[in-house]
Amino acid sequence: MAMVFGWPMLRYSWLSMHASSVLTGLEPVSNQGANWIRLLEDARFWQDAVQTSRFAALSVGLEIVLALAMALLLDQRWRGRGVVRALSLLPWALPTTMMALGWRWIFNTPYGPLEQMAQSAGLSPLNLLSNPDWTWLATVMADVWKTTPFITLLLLAGLQTIPDDLYSAFRLEGGKTRQALTAITLPLLTPYILIGILFRTAQAAGVFDLIQVLTGGGPAGSTESIAQYAYLNAMRFLDFGYSATVMLAGFVLLSLVIFTVAVLLQISGLLRPLKS
Amino acid sequence: MNRSRPLWIALLLIWSLLPMLWQLITSFTSSDALVNADIPFQQRWTLAHYRELLSGDPPFWRYLFNSSLVGGLSTLLTLLLAVPAAYGIARMAPASRRTIRTVVGAAALFPYVLLFLALLELAREFQMGNNLLAIALPYAGLALPLALLLLISAFEGLPNELDDAARLEGLGVVDRLRWVLMPLIAPATASTGILVFLFAWNEYPIALTWLSRDDLLTLPVAMARIAGSSIYAVPYGAYAAATVLGSLPLLALVLLCQRQIVAGLTNGAVKG
Repeated sequence: MAMVFGWPMLRYSWLSMHASSVLTGLEPVSNQGANWIRLLEDARFWQDAVQTSRFAALSVGLEIVLALAMALLLDQRWRGRGVVRALSLLPWALPTTMMALGWRWIFNTPYGPLEQMAQSAGLSPLNLLSNPDWTWLATVMADVWKTTPFITLLLLAGLQTIPDDLYSAFRLEGGKTRQALTAITLPLLTPYILIGILFRTAQAAGVFDLIQVLTGGGPAGSTESIAQYAYLNAMRFLDFGYSATVMLAGFVLLSLVIFTVAVLLQISGLLRPLKS
Repeated sequence: MNRSRPLWIALLLIWSLLPMLWQLITSFTSSDALVNADIPFQQRWTLAHYRELLSGDPPFWRYLFNSSLVGGLSTLLTLLLAVPAAYGIARMAPASRRTIRTVVGAAALFPYVLLFLALLELAREFQMGNNLLAIALPYAGLALPLALLLLISAFEGLPNELDDAARLEGLGVVDRLRWVLMPLIAPATASTGILVFLFAWNEYPIALTWLSRDDLLTLPVAMARIAGSSIYAVPYGAYAAATVLGSLPLLALVLLCQRQIVAGLTNGAVKG
């Protein structure tokens, strides 16, 4: 673990203080923080940071709501539940790259099914993957489809820890089924929801394969994520020093976000059930 | 909610399965029919995409084999490391356990994509590129945090008395782990193994940078390469066929192991 997680961070810190690109014959040469100054002035990096954040915020938000509905449904007892559970897990189990391309076909203009439907409804072409204002929503949709089952699983696990007695007692006291949701289920589920938010925020902030395959960062760079920019810098521009800088900066920004989320949740009192 | 339940179930299934069904349909549709809606219904269907895939060079099953090999190996390696480690950690004092939990949890949260560059340098340094056995090493390293979290919880669920009794019987630590505790945490081990396998099977950025020889690609990289072969005309039919073939093993795995996957997450990750 130290090798896989610790070493890269040290190496990045060192690399980010050096120029190591084709210009220097791929040999690291110290450049006294020039990478970091370049980063601060790099509009593309900041655009990617904004894009990555809005992508993460929207997809995690949607996923939590959807997953909650799914988990409540899958927690009830009915015939065939096991199979439906397994089937609803599938999007999460399939490789991201694989379904990213599937989505690219679905969003395709003019042959994809969505575009065909819009056509027969008499709408103008949607151009889902070539409109810089809308394409990021397509990536959100693909991400929500793909990772909601993961949160559903987490929440399902949480629901199973709530004893049935609580609900019977609540009904005896004259509570309505609908009220049980806000009085029992949600408060007791909160820790699981928080862990879901935390996990998914971290993952969404590092989004790479999905966007790489679905849009390649386009159109006009409007869906490019930080991880992708770092990848481009290293593998296409062969600028390893700057790539390391981008990754380190991405990591710092992410830590800040996670920290802020944790603090905000603490302030809003959502963490209280954890302590009791 | 009871009366409308079938509706919700149907919605859930449509949402989860429709994109995949579309791939299935596409995979049997001839390339002409994909771009021409006017071709009559009877003439739209073909097996050409599957034939093309299976007779390609290298044939498609090669990627399935590569991914299975890497997945199996990573899973084995992760469990070999994580089971004894989790046992050791679970028997520590509560304070140090909490510290380790926090560190391991943070590592599990870490978006590992950011690590690919340094890992690639290591691969170059130690000549580990283009080697399916070697790529299991970073996979095991990356999967370790989650595996540890799940297994520590599993071990903590076992009473200490069990361990003590076995010790009084004169069993050493290895025997205790192997003959007394392992059988008891077998379910947790199984579900951890499945999650690790899924991770290794689906991993993309590291496989992309470590493997470049055609016959060594894992499934996700091979798929992305089909996509990238031309920006203008992605061979969607062939691609959809690949998706279908590539999904079958996972479909089987998930259907068979649904219970373990759910149970694994129930017992583990969320306790810390």
